[in-house]
Amino acid sequence: MSTQKYPIKLEVNGEWHTLQVAAQHSLLQVLRDQLNLTGTKECCDEGECGACTVLLNGRSVTSCLILAVEVDGSSITTIEGLGQGDQLDPLQESFLEHGAVQCGFCIPGIIMSGKYLLKKNPKPTYEEVQEGLAGNLCRCAGYGQIIEAVLSTAEKAGEAQS
Amino acid sequence: MSEYRVVGKSIPRKDALEKVTGSAIYGADIFLPKMLYAAVCRSPHAHAKILSVDIGEAAKVPGVKIILTGKDNIGLFGQFLMDQPIIAFEKVRYEGEPVAAVAAEDLDAAWEAVKLIKVEYELLTPVIDSIQAMKPDSPLLHEKWSDYKMAQAANPVDKSNVCDHFHLKKGDIEAGFAESDIIVENDYDGEMVQHSTMETHGSTVLFDNKGLTIWSPTQSPFMTRDQLAKLFNLSLNQVRIICTHIGGGFGSKYELKTEPILALLALKLKGRPIKMFNTRAEEFLTGGCRGPWRIHAKTGAKKDGTLVAHQFTIYWDTGAYATTGPRVSYNACFASVTPYKIPNIVIDGYTVVTNKHIATAYRGFGVPEVVWGYENQMDLIAEKLNMDKVEFRLKNALDDDDESGTGEILKSVAVKDCIKEAARLLEWDKDFKPGLTPEGKLRGRGIAAFCKLTGTPSSTSVIVKMNEDGTVVVFVSGLEMGQGSTTVIPQIVAEGLGISVEKVTTVPVDTLYSPYDKTTTSSRLTFHSGNAALDAINGIGGINDQIRELASIKWKMDVEQVVIQDGVVIGRDNSGNEKRIVIEDIGKSGIMKEQKPVIATGKYSTSEIYDPPDVETHQSKRPTVMWFWGAQAAEVEIDPETGKVEVTKVTAAHDIGKAINPLGVLQQIEGGVIMGMGHALLEEMIFDDKAILLNGNMVDFKLPTSRDAKMDLKIALVETKPHPEGPYGAKGIGEPGMAPTAAAIAFAVSNAVGKRFTSMPIKADDVLLTLKKMKSSDNHRMGGE
Repeated sequence: MSTQKYPIKLEVNGEWHTLQVAAQHSLLQVLRDQLNLTGTKECCDEGECGACTVLLNGRSVTSCLILAVEVDGSSITTIEGLGQGDQLDPLQESFLEHGAVQCGFCIPGIIMSGKYLLKKNPKPTYEEVQEGLAGNLCRCAGYGQIIEAVLSTAEKAGEAQS
Repeated sequence: MSEYRVVGKSIPRKDALEKVTGSAIYGADIFLPKMLYAAVCRSPHAHAKILSVDIGEAAKVPGVKIILTGKDNIGLFGQFLMDQPIIAFEKVRYEGEPVAAVAAEDLDAAWEAVKLIKVEYELLTPVIDSIQAMKPDSPLLHEKWSDYKMAQAANPVDKSNVCDHFHLKKGDIEAGFAESDIIVENDYDGEMVQHSTMETHGSTVLFDNKGLTIWSPTQSPFMTRDQLAKLFNLSLNQVRIICTHIGGGFGSKYELKTEPILALLALKLKGRPIKMFNTRAEEFLTGGCRGPWRIHAKTGAKKDGTLVAHQFTIYWDTGAYATTGPRVSYNACFASVTPYKIPNIVIDGYTVVTNKHIATAYRGFGVPEVVWGYENQMDLIAEKLNMDKVEFRLKNALDDDDESGTGEILKSVAVKDCIKEAARLLEWDKDFKPGLTPEGKLRGRGIAAFCKLTGTPSSTSVIVKMNEDGTVVVFVSGLEMGQGSTTVIPQIVAEGLGISVEKVTTVPVDTLYSPYDKTTTSSRLTFHSGNAALDAINGIGGINDQIRELASIKWKMDVEQVVIQDGVVIGRDNSGNEKRIVIEDIGKSGIMKEQKPVIATGKYSTSEIYDPPDVETHQSKRPTVMWFWGAQAAEVEIDPETGKVEVTKVTAAHDIGKAINPLGVLQQIEGGVIMGMGHALLEEMIFDDKAILLNGNMVDFKLPTSRDAKMDLKIALVETKPHPEGPYGAKGIGEPGMAPTAAAIAFAVSNAVGKRFTSMPIKADDVLLTLKKMKSSDNHRMGGE
């Protein structure tokens, strides 16, 4: 295995980082091991569970399937980048209110998928949320409260606009 | 009971904020200075002799610090029979068993070295299931059980693969069958499933002058500490377990997993913390599972539907090492007496080792498995007697003051209420025609009830500390793993002290300072830790007594002149002068300043109430402090073209005594129902004929997703029978939410198809195949029982 490192630049949660990364290391590994952003979780390492979901240039991706060297110059948002200071993102707030959290390991990934879902589709139906989150496994909850939390965020945003 | 201020209120979880912001620290989020990384070389075979292990090339990989093999073993461990080596020597007994372990400066180097380790094996015949394992000529996994030390009582059968035999007997089973008008006799089984926690198993271990320090997402820090101390010949103050957040447990993080092998490495590399977390592939091989099970059941009833005899034999395939297999069998065999009144019962449980993955506790300790067996029998008897399935169950269900199958006069039994509620919510009384609907789907419904005991005897202890400003921290040693304990315990404490719940928080568990608790299993935390917390408040010398003392000093009264009523400290001196402090505002009162700290300990133990079951019959006047009761009903629709089952409705009614946090209880049940649905319809670990796992990944091992959360789920929290010994009447709910789900859904599938399935899971292709077979036989009518 090569130990050679390659320089890349990443904008993570609004801050630029210059990093030396190994060719075989995923974006997930770099976020967790090099930038200490441990809110993004490793679970299946094959893009099946969604626990490592982050936004890459605004789109949700499973960061375990992306090599860090491939995304040189990109902008990344992780769970740590949501909200402003002590102010939670409305979606995070909604997860608290709806009792959507149990062990919590899947939650950062689900919230990131939810963010992208609401960006693409600000007024999703129940079925559209089900579909939008189908790539995120949760083993504790029954998904019901999670779906409600996303729907309620959309409703509140709609009310605020109208 | 509206007199409570905090208990019974749905409050948002206290642990949720750090979980939605990503700041909660789980096991793999531990990064320490000078940390090394470990990786394990695992057996690709299920049963083989180890001829040689060559680490020559591997040791040359830059960054590799040490490689250990079976020769470096220091002992065997196990919760009952101490049969498990840290690293396999002489032979391997399951696919994935460690044969060597590497510690290196980084993970890439550790894995590179693992790839270069050369192991020569001589293949042995694998024992692939409990049927083969029970044959007299079966190869033996462990040549002689009596060679092993026993950590807790088990009943192994020497020169066999049976590591434990359990026997329970009540009444006269032969007489029972003789007086039966109808007898049904059948076999049932189910396949291996895995907890599939989102967080895999792993830990970080440091050995230094102070001893072992372990950062681990464990459900049982005190058991882990105890076993490691024994294994490494250390005292308890030389083993420190620092618990991280747990990314899902369900029983899988109940026993030692990665800790012993990392401790062995750490012992050789003093001062360097070593971390390892399973990859998902390793997790499927070694993360624990619910083993396959087989049941032979024979049940007899009178014409009027009265149950009279029940003979039930269970074969548990517990995998390569005994671990907690005997405990699973014990708990589930007790639950196999059913929630019904039956005078003549025989239960036998055989815990059998095979060359498969090591089974462990899995949300219910065997109860969902036995429910599948006995509730199928109940359905069959009801059908044969042409009785309604709900009516039949209600006729036989246990009630207060009935004698259980385990010889106990029961108290606080709401199973009838649960059956009624589950049926009512499903509108069971409405006309329902199983089979083909006008839309071309097959429709069916089912119901299942259960009972489960909590492990007894056990004990727990709690420390409650009141700060100078009147806020309170609780050292509770049960672990938060998603079930909501870090919210429920503060609610109990706030209610007990008469203060607001915002003022109460729990302390992360660390065996260095946390008081002893047995384990976070068996749905016991709220009940046991809740009681211990109330003891710390109300017991002699508890928080209330200490507050009274401090107030008496301030007010210059005798302590007897100070009382606490409804959250108010009231002092009356001999002249009739009255002073008051509201405990909510105690921080402003000045009585806490320059005083002894307000710290109290509390304990709860069930040793006193426990009646050790008779060794021969397992009859006992009190085998457990708490039985859980409940029932669930389900409706399904099946597409006859694809065999795909859609669960359209589930109703769940659980005897929870008193819900401390109803939202938390609903979360537990909702999650349990979805997990149970996965077990009924999707999840199965598939093996080839050499006991090699074929679907050890999250693509091929199917778990429920949000697409499966379509069902109309109605939950009833039955609070008709508060537990007389529970904190504010509470019982447990962690395991019960899933206990009857898979059976209820499977019965609905059988009802829709018109043929009874006896093996779990029932996948779409099983349904399709059954429909095809039925179609090809002449006397078949499509759908409906």
